[in-house]
Amino acid sequence: MSELKEKLKTQIIEQLNLEDLTIADIKNDSPLFGDEGLGLDSIDALEFIVLLDSYYGIKIDDPAIAKEIFHSVDSMADFIESKK
Amino acid sequence: MYYIHKIASITHQDSFNQTDVNDSLVEIAEDTVLISPDYKKYVLPASLRRLSPILRMAVAAAKECQEAITIPVEAISVGTALGCLTDTEKFLNVINTVEGEILSPTAFIQSTHNTIAGLISLELKNHSYNMTHTQNNLSLEMALIDSMLCCDEGKEFVLLGVADEAIDFLNKLKPIVLPENSIVTSGTTFFALSKKKSTAEIGFLACNSIIKPKGVEVEIVLFLRELKIEINEIDRVYTNQNSLDFPKEIVVNYEAYSGLYFTANAFGVHMAHDWLIKTAKKYALIVNSGCNNSLGLILLKNDKAQN
Amino acid sequence: MEIFITGYGVISSIGTNVEENLSSLMQERTAIKQGLNSYTSKFKVGEVALSNDALKSAFDLKTDGSRTALLGMVAAKEAFKNHSHFNALRTGLISGTSVGGMDISEVEYRKEMAGEKPNYKKYFHHPSGTTSEQIATEIGITGFVNTISTACSSAANAIMMGARLIQSGQLDRVVVGGTDCLTQFTIYGFRSLMIFDDEWCKPFDNSRKGLNLGEGAGFLVLESKKSLEITGKEVLAKLSGWSNASDAYHQTASSPDGDGAILSMKQALKQARLEPHEINYVNAHGTATPNNDLSESKAFINVFNGKVPPFSSTKSYTGHTLAASGGIESVFAILSIQNGLLFPNLNHTSPIEETGLIPIINIQKNIEVTHVLSNSFGFGGNNSTLIFSKI
Repeated sequence: MSELKEKLKTQIIEQLNLEDLTIADIKNDSPLFGDEGLGLDSIDALEFIVLLDSYYGIKIDDPAIAKEIFHSVDSMADFIESKK
Repeated sequence: MYYIHKIASITHQDSFNQTDVNDSLVEIAEDTVLISPDYKKYVLPASLRRLSPILRMAVAAAKECQEAITIPVEAISVGTALGCLTDTEKFLNVINTVEGEILSPTAFIQSTHNTIAGLISLELKNHSYNMTHTQNNLSLEMALIDSMLCCDEGKEFVLLGVADEAIDFLNKLKPIVLPENSIVTSGTTFFALSKKKSTAEIGFLACNSIIKPKGVEVEIVLFLRELKIEINEIDRVYTNQNSLDFPKEIVVNYEAYSGLYFTANAFGVHMAHDWLIKTAKKYALIVNSGCNNSLGLILLKNDKAQN
Repeated sequence: MEIFITGYGVISSIGTNVEENLSSLMQERTAIKQGLNSYTSKFKVGEVALSNDALKSAFDLKTDGSRTALLGMVAAKEAFKNHSHFNALRTGLISGTSVGGMDISEVEYRKEMAGEKPNYKKYFHHPSGTTSEQIATEIGITGFVNTISTACSSAANAIMMGARLIQSGQLDRVVVGGTDCLTQFTIYGFRSLMIFDDEWCKPFDNSRKGLNLGEGAGFLVLESKKSLEITGKEVLAKLSGWSNASDAYHQTASSPDGDGAILSMKQALKQARLEPHEINYVNAHGTATPNNDLSESKAFINVFNGKVPPFSSTKSYTGHTLAASGGIESVFAILSIQNGLLFPNLNHTSPIEETGLIPIINIQKNIEVTHVLSNSFGFGGNNSTLIFSKI
């Protein structure tokens, strides 16, 4: 699980062009969206959907449920695990 | 008169925030690159990460202009000939390479021409009139005509700007769509305009844009006649044309310094603006003629001129 | 100064001229269906059923161009028919487009990626500005030609720009509107945003999922009083108000309360010197995306103080024709005034929970329609409102 989370962080940095961040800057449980987290927005949510499809073969067709899944690295990892 | 209160250009010249852009001009060469400021000073990293070169340079130049006048502009008018080419090409690649239904949306979102003006409104938190004109090499003229209208309609300050970016692909279009010996470049110029003079000296006096002109010389005569100005009152001509009926010593080819992008006449305006300030001369004419049989004429006037 | 409308033309999936469009609107007949071309066949779209060659021969088009340009020529020609050229009148053309010649470029680009020899000459048609120059050539307009590109509000802004140039005395007469054809680029683009409905779109419905794309063009002829004295044309309606404002909220999404939409509607009403209750019909932007329709509905409630006039989105007939939508819907607004009709919003079953607003469900006839408000909102928070009035 922790390996998955580290991998996810690398993929997030790449997919979203977060060039100024390193893996250490992204905490497992801190929110990815909104000003308190990484400041990501709805366009990034769509990029996360692309990420899940291209790296994990998981398809999400309703952007509305994406919000919960992409709350944090923890919630994303849980979701990926649950789909295995 | 529509006074230029601030002018900011990011080009392949060292032009950003220079007192006189003419001081450090070098003739454009094949291996030339865009000279960019530190964009982190203008855009938060969270936003900057997505932005293509055209968006970065336009936002930086626009913000310089807004900051220089302190009160918020009441209209934003942008001209671009070819728009956001980097993201357009990126999304063309996405749709032709990605199999399946789920595609990355960012390049698409930022591929529309009005991403530039829209992003500026977003960055400046400005809710006013926001327009994007795209008329090939007359895109500056169109955005300028709109800006002048906005001023006439009572808007105190208008943010006028142009931006165009080069992508490698454009070189493939030589010599069929683009001139063979051209050096394709990127560039942006923004202006803070107002009918109020305050400390400004130079302004746009008039602008005309013509599709299928009767002839360059004829149209120049008509343009100046309407303004009751004699041809020999023009102190300098900035043009992308090789042969104009003016004494050689007063003609400057701006494209030799800007390179080729279809809103580069705005850099010609910037060169003219700084030259008028330095020499205290009165009139500079910008003549921009395109291969699609179109002509743009812009006249700058210096209120402080000695004659 | 009054801005008179003396010509209109439209081509969309529901008809290739004004009369056919009116007939489809009256019969509550959508043309959104499975596409006809390789790039549209997987989706429900509002496609013009004529190929490029068929358009050229059916409408006797003499100028070559992208599909966007050809559609524009058809509508501009209809709008400008029976108009003549006068030396004493400065006549211009302003067109809105977002894709320009992308329909040609994307094919050439794909060919090159597949290792085939591209024809670079074809990229000549790519720039949006060229599209307008070709339309101008087809109807014989030289001098002032301009293109507005503000995504889905382009045509509305082109109409506004034309009116302002007449008002300032720079032009006497101007052909204004917009055009966009369907392209793989835009279809995949909107799909990537996940705001695409694979079934018929349901504007202002609680269960709306997203939009259907469409293609077409809509153009008007605007004239000043001075111009009217020379042309002697019959006036169809007046353009009495216009405004553009920025949402400045997000690159694609509308602000939750529709701040930009409120601004643009209020400013247009103010310019037309009308009170909100004087509007008889609102032709909404109404794309059927969850975000737009909620935000626009909230803006209606705000601008009309809770007493929202009859409204509908005709995108349920034509699909969202992007840059052309403001032009096509302006023609519909004039048809509403001329014929005393209120056009329904198809596919509506339940109102949006948060607002409870119910659009026009069935065609309303014999209504006294004096003022119509038409909204067009684009990416980047570009919000525009036009108001059309009975002469």
